[in-house]
Amino acid sequence: MFATPETGLTRRTPVNAGVRRGSNTVPMDADALVQAIASSADRQAFARLFDHFAPRVKGLLMRGGTPADLAEELAQETLMTVWRKAALFDPTKAGAGTWIATIARNLRIDHARREKRVRLSRVFEILEEESPEQPDQVVSGSERDARVRDALTSLSKDQYKVVELAFLEGFSHQDVATRLSIPLGTVKSRLRLAMAHLRRHLEDLR
Amino acid sequence: MNARQFASDETLAGFASGRLDEGMALVVAAHVEMNRDSARALREIEAIGGGVLARGEAVPMLTSAEDALARIEETADIAAAPSQPPRDGGLPRVLAPYELGKWRPIGRGVAMRRVHVPGAEARVFMLRAAPGTWLPEHRHTGNEWTTILSGAYEHEYGRFGRGDFDEANEDHEHHPHVDAVEGCTCIVALTGEVRFKGWLGRMLQPLVRL
Repeated sequence: MFATPETGLTRRTPVNAGVRRGSNTVPMDADALVQAIASSADRQAFARLFDHFAPRVKGLLMRGGTPADLAEELAQETLMTVWRKAALFDPTKAGAGTWIATIARNLRIDHARREKRVRLSRVFEILEEESPEQPDQVVSGSERDARVRDALTSLSKDQYKVVELAFLEGFSHQDVATRLSIPLGTVKSRLRLAMAHLRRHLEDLR
Repeated sequence: MNARQFASDETLAGFASGRLDEGMALVVAAHVEMNRDSARALREIEAIGGGVLARGEAVPMLTSAEDALARIEETADIAAAPSQPPRDGGLPRVLAPYELGKWRPIGRGVAMRRVHVPGAEARVFMLRAAPGTWLPEHRHTGNEWTTILSGAYEHEYGRFGRGDFDEANEDHEHHPHVDAVEGCTCIVALTGEVRFKGWLGRMLQPLVRL
């Protein structure tokens, strides 16, 4: 049911596993790099984060329909925000990759609705500041991220596509069905299976 | 199956992506602020977003880390983060960025307060109902999403208490009965038309269509 696609392991992007530098693979701990910016304004740490994440944020935005120029601008702003807010990064809430994805999301919201003086990105910030982790809930956000990344690699290609559209792009199930030209029931069952699979990976963290 | 007192994954995903209408999103945000299970589900969905980011294809940048650092230095003075808004009489914090109207009575133990969400498609308001009130029976052509801020109500689809989320769509016709002891205060976002029945409904009709 959750057949690993043959591309599963090779396509996996090694966030914590390593970045290529010439012929070497240097381990990269994104959480530690953000913390190095917070504690000592570490420009080298920033450069490594930028080189790794900015092109991915740009790619993500472009897949979601953002034009290349704007995606470039928002990706740069995302990493600038990482520098400015590094001190607010809390790895118990989310790993660096997820934190950066939410920053990109907020900037996209701000930009899309700038003319309407949108406050929604502020709402997300308040929710993030809210809710100091409960003592019985001391789950490392980085650990959760790693588990989710693992679980994603074992989804079939079809399931992954549905998850991406529904959970990252936020399309309604009906819109996902329309975009992929598949029945609504198929979207719902793929998502149900995919979520059950993802949540199984997180079970003991809850 | 219908009696779910928390936001569905579909709703949370729409919220997490920023794709939801801002009015609807605000009511979801109030629920997430008050409900730990939904807060956790939201973090999981955001982690999926992070995972998809990590796996996704990279597109080469035209600008470098050095360019970004130069821009950061240029704008260093305006980097101050906004401070956490104070709680206002038990209101959810997520309401802090929005302008609220005054409470005004609209008849038989019910008061309403508008929440101004400029540019939103949904109309957003708070309702406060005295203990034991029957809210007018109504149905929808769009969505009616509600987060209970205090007290409780009950209708055909279950009982909804503090922090619960009531997601009604066009199929729902309901007739909420407010808790006989605690009363109820809630925040509501509406799209489309609401068709009320009865006299209180006729009073509410022009208000919710504003």
